Amino acid sequence: MTLENHADFIVFGAGPGGYAAAFRAADLGRDVVLVDPRATLGGVCLNEGCIPSKALLHAAEVIREAREMSDWGIKFAKPKVNLDALQAKKERIVGTLTGGLVQLAKKRKVTVVKGTATFNGPDILKIDGEDWSFKDAVIAVGSSSIKLPGWPEDDRIWDSTAALELREIPKNLAIVGGGIIGLEMATVYSALGSEVTIIELGDQIAPGAETDAVRILANALKSQGCKILTDTRVETIKATKASLTLTCTGAFAGKFTADVVIQSVGRSANGNLVGADAAGITVQKNGTIDVDNCCATSQPNIYAVGDVTGGPMLAHRATHQGKVAAEVACGHSAAMDTDLIPSVCYTNPEMAWAGLTTGRAKADGISHKSTAFPWAASGRNLASGGGDGLTKIVYCPETERILGATLIGANAGELLAEMVLAMEMGATLTDIALTVHAHPTLSETTAFAAERALGTLTDM
Amino acid sequence: MTKPIASPSTRAFAREKGVDLTVLAAALGQDSISVSDFERNLTGGGAPAPSADTSFWDVDHTLYGPVVTEKMSRFAMIAAKNLTAAQQLIPAVTHHDRADMGEIEEFRKSLKAEALNRGIKLTGLAFQTKALARALQDFPRFNASLSADGESLHIKNYYNIGIAVDTPHGLMVPVVRNVERKGLWQIASEIGDLASRAQARKIRPEEMGGASMTITNLGGIGGTAFTPIVNPPELAILGLTRTEVTPVWNGTEFIPKQMAPLDLSYDHRVINGAEAARFLSHFAGLLADPHKLLL
Repeated sequence: MTLENHADFIVFGAGPGGYAAAFRAADLGRDVVLVDPRATLGGVCLNEGCIPSKALLHAAEVIREAREMSDWGIKFAKPKVNLDALQAKKERIVGTLTGGLVQLAKKRKVTVVKGTATFNGPDILKIDGEDWSFKDAVIAVGSSSIKLPGWPEDDRIWDSTAALELREIPKNLAIVGGGIIGLEMATVYSALGSEVTIIELGDQIAPGAETDAVRILANALKSQGCKILTDTRVETIKATKASLTLTCTGAFAGKFTADVVIQSVGRSANGNLVGADAAGITVQKNGTIDVDNCCATSQPNIYAVGDVTGGPMLAHRATHQGKVAAEVACGHSAAMDTDLIPSVCYTNPEMAWAGLTTGRAKADGISHKSTAFPWAASGRNLASGGGDGLTKIVYCPETERILGATLIGANAGELLAEMVLAMEMGATLTDIALTVHAHPTLSETTAFAAERALGTLTDM
Repeated sequence: MTKPIASPSTRAFAREKGVDLTVLAAALGQDSISVSDFERNLTGGGAPAPSADTSFWDVDHTLYGPVVTEKMSRFAMIAAKNLTAAQQLIPAVTHHDRADMGEIEEFRKSLKAEALNRGIKLTGLAFQTKALARALQDFPRFNASLSADGESLHIKNYYNIGIAVDTPHGLMVPVVRNVERKGLWQIASEIGDLASRAQARKIRPEEMGGASMTITNLGGIGGTAFTPIVNPPELAILGLTRTEVTPVWNGTEFIPKQMAPLDLSYDHRVINGAEAARFLSHFAGLLADPHKLLL
């Protein structure tokens, strides 16, 4: 059925997964409609996630580095932070990128519609009450911050979006949830002068990451003035005029007060927002929509990509899925055939990992060994004022193939790419060790870690 | 067989060529694959060629007259792949028989008013579905699936019948569950509901799959016999064509009888010809004397 409003290829949501799907489909010759309720393209990632947080983290890093230079005989005055100007700078960066997306959409003749699309059947939908027919659709509506039930409604309880708005620098800041988002906010606000307490339900911050690296990160955060409470549950929050009182149980049992609380306990998929039922698509209890490795849902002409398909909820997974969905819908034989999705925690020091950690390998009973190179022995790290850091590689003892890698230290997120490529190519420790790495660089540490396992390391 | 090591570009190449890397690696006796291994294999490196040579039908049809080209839907391509695999992998035989539908037709006529009241179309297919579940109870080895490695037979303790539905977007097989516990009204109403929702593409994935056997019914259209393709992991599929009044010799004279042609395609690895003949004859007997369904 074709209505007056007809979309050959329609994408719900203009985040990284959605715009990748839209642009790839347009490049493959489809007439594409991209629908998003926001005034700007880019979704959470560009508008209130990855990008604005990186801008603030950069500011935090400069403040910290300037302070650390006193140790080098270079003393800067205490920085004066103009929150409005910092906010405006961040907005300009976001504006440049979202504006760039508008240009990319125009160049491809992608029709951008501001609105909310919901299915009305397997080939019809509504955009803000208006009926549309469509041929292929991609659901890329992302995820939302989880709000814990029973918490009071209060302006001083922020989600990650509010935290990035830089409303104020609270004197005492409690961050509930020690995952990547919580740790990044701890890094920003502690540099800006807040006294930060991180409360994590699990036995370590950055749950799922390599324990050795997490220990280094926890020590660094502590030396930056953050308090970390693991194995601790926030039972209640009471709002009074003066402050917020948190009552905790677990390893830390007791009460403390904070001026602001950031809730960063995870994100839940937005599958329930698209009227999936009308299209005959089942939404799981947690809000996700199941897809196969072609990103196809149970309806042959409807695809789903990104956070709405479950974890890991990361932009780079979404963009890859978006391209797969577009290509499959255009008759290509694409598939998402890897589960190597790198994770980066943009703290100071930065922590990045992909593939197996020793903890995961043990839990899954996978035969493995690990090797590590401490950055205390890296010339480049010391010469750049870097502190404690680590490059750790998990490998298969029989084949020497690399199964996982974790790095912590400056630029860990950039350095990880070599390890991800190594794993995709099936490289062995010897491959890494015999690849000439420039000296002095931080990238050498992967070769050193490999050499250490092979017994050929001469730098330690 | 474990997954071989292959770079992302090699994996993409394999997908494009429709080659299973695990199978190719096993055929070549290697634990890693590169694009050059394909070439070796495709030019006769010893392993089976991944697909037949179809270059002879790659012709320019416009040389002979005007042609409109339309893209196969993804849905159709997936179905095509599965049908090809089923046809290539299963040594299937089709056995033909006929069932006397006279009593069922009489019974159906007598229930016409009640059916109208209930708003349910009580079709012959509902009876055939019920009778098939009963026949499967009596012949448990037909209600089974062969494991993918061919080393074990999973015999099922449930009686779910798949109903192949012709829809504008392709063939769909929704499944009526636990037919043995359901009455004819309910079976008829469920078949009607599944068929109409399949037309509207509103069948949920969990409403497909897990069938004991599938019925593919062309009775409403016509035909006297056909050879359906088994729908794995099921062991057999029952094809139905149009019930027709046919002269049947009763020993002294020809009697006009309403005979339904039955076509049972079955997996010969599990079911032998004599068993299939007995099964289909038993099924035909249940239809000829539907009172037996009460026993």
